Amino acid sequence: MLRALAAVVVVTVGAIAAAAYFALFVVHVNEQAIVLEFGKPVRIISEPGLYWKIPVVQTVDTFDKRILDLDTAEQEVTAADQKRLKVDAFARYRIVDPLLFYQAVRDERSVRSRLGPVIESALRRVLGSATFTDLVRDKREALMKQIAKQVNEEGKEFGLEVVDVRIKRADLPDQNQKNVFDRMRAERQREAAEFRAEGTGAANRIKANADREVTIIKGDATRDAEQTRGEGDAERNRIFADAYTRDPDFFAFYRSMQAYEQGFKPGDTRMLLSPESEFFKYFTNPGSGNATGAPKR
Amino acid sequence: MPWSSQNGGGRKSGGGGGPWGQGPSGGPHQPDLEELLKRSQDRLKQVMPGGSGLPGPVLFLVAIVGCALVAFFAFTFRVNPDELGVVVRFGKPVRQEPPGLHFRLPYPIEEVRLPKVTRQNIIEVGFRSGMTSRGFPGGVSDRPEESLMLTGDENIVDVDFVVFWRIRDAQQYLFNIQNPEVTVKEVAESAMREVVGQSNIQPILTEARQKTEQAVQKLMQEVLDSYQAGIRIEEVRLQKVDPPTQVIDAFRDVQAARADRERLQNEAQAYASRVIPEARGEAERILQAARGYKEQTVAEATGQTSRFLKVLEEYKKAPDVTRKRMYLETMERVLGGTDKIIIDGKQGQGVVPFLPLDQLQKRKEGAN
Repeated sequence: MLRALAAVVVVTVGAIAAAAYFALFVVHVNEQAIVLEFGKPVRIISEPGLYWKIPVVQTVDTFDKRILDLDTAEQEVTAADQKRLKVDAFARYRIVDPLLFYQAVRDERSVRSRLGPVIESALRRVLGSATFTDLVRDKREALMKQIAKQVNEEGKEFGLEVVDVRIKRADLPDQNQKNVFDRMRAERQREAAEFRAEGTGAANRIKANADREVTIIKGDATRDAEQTRGEGDAERNRIFADAYTRDPDFFAFYRSMQAYEQGFKPGDTRMLLSPESEFFKYFTNPGSGNATGAPKR
Repeated sequence: MPWSSQNGGGRKSGGGGGPWGQGPSGGPHQPDLEELLKRSQDRLKQVMPGGSGLPGPVLFLVAIVGCALVAFFAFTFRVNPDELGVVVRFGKPVRQEPPGLHFRLPYPIEEVRLPKVTRQNIIEVGFRSGMTSRGFPGGVSDRPEESLMLTGDENIVDVDFVVFWRIRDAQQYLFNIQNPEVTVKEVAESAMREVVGQSNIQPILTEARQKTEQAVQKLMQEVLDSYQAGIRIEEVRLQKVDPPTQVIDAFRDVQAARADRERLQNEAQAYASRVIPEARGEAERILQAARGYKEQTVAEATGQTSRFLKVLEEYKKAPDVTRKRMYLETMERVLGGTDKIIIDGKQGQGVVPFLPLDQLQKRKEGAN
């Protein structure tokens, strides 16, 4: 009897467990679900919690509610100024209308093939009307917003909300990149040459200044030196004049004597003398003592 | 009893494998638990049909212990020091638990997520610092497709950087975003390119590093916040900011040129600071020579005049005699050293004076 009761309990519990297993389902906070009744959507569940369904009759499809990734392939875009760019963008989206999403896309794996081309054409459209500098520098943020907006418009048809489209990379194609490298190299070479020229210029300026200063210093010195020498000469003249004006006649005689002595050096002078000169006065006539007197001038 | 002996053996070997196989986590208990369950079920089956063979109390005790263990693992969970326990009841997050042992309702009702909230995560952009098998830092491999980017003045710069991030809000982190790692990386690349694109190459290479880091950090944080990702960007650190390898030589040459400029100027300065003092010295020499000349001239003049004045003084006492004496003395000295030919003008009239110049010349040469 006890055994029969135990069997009943076990069967009942098992039945309840089975019913719970087939009839109850959990929707997580990062999920949303649609309940299908033989393929016909009857409920959309977007709040997390424990829910029930009719076993066998109803089935549940869950969809992610989080922000999902979509990384597009790199593609070449021509900007409005005909410059080409390799653009690699990524999108972040979430499923906001699970039913629409289910109908249009069905599952996440198909999103890439549906939304990818949308993003690519939006990129092409928006970037094609912007210039290269707009994209790289000036209006990147605005352009990304514009792309996101366009993609979002089209994404709505798939039950998607495109949160963000960002340009991850916007680089030049290899050929253009090479041109940029060449230009960069040329610019740097110019800059280097400029620095060296500046250096040479500055060095020359410094040297020239130094040389000028040297010349001035020496010139000043020479001027002062000549002045000093002149002062010396003037002083000398004054001293001589002072002394010699006391007896100009004697000075003339005295100086002449000195000059004779200096002028006729022994060995290099030969003289033709007349014995009638004053010097020989007593040479021929030793007696005429009165012959002395003032010299002939 | 075969069961008990097998049981004992199994436990022992399981315990022995512990230190090698798995760490001190709850892991190794799992198989034991299942085993225990199975065994207790088996035992129940054995007990139920009539209780033959085994002593009842031992089996009962084993069953109790087994149930207790099952209950323990079903109703508790463990949070490690670097984790946060997020408890989800029927899909709804209901509470968060700090490290330690905590109560929970068993599986279908409550689930636990354990994000590592204290860990600082690193994302490398532009390079991969691969670790070797033994854990030492291995070779760094460059990723030019990630690191080459355009600057605002249409140059290209090679930027490697790392991003440090941490979970700020575990709930947002777990339930709002699908691939946090990938998202952080893509946002980092996008933000860095945006910031670099707004600047010219020169500041990026030199003084604007910190500004770039801060701008990227701010931009990344804004974007991630707009996703409600529950991630905090702690730091953006530029590792290497260089011109691309294709043109780095030219950039290095600019540095060299800068150094050359300095060097040329310094050399010129050195020249200037050498020649100017030299010139000052030379000037001083010239001036001193002039002063010497002046003093010498004056001294000589003074000497000569004072000699003259002395002579004059004596001369005035006896002018005629002195004059004659001086004349004769002078002539004596002058004529004493010279060759002399005396021609009597009266007697020698008509005789042409013959000057043997060649002989004179010879004598002169002989004298020399």
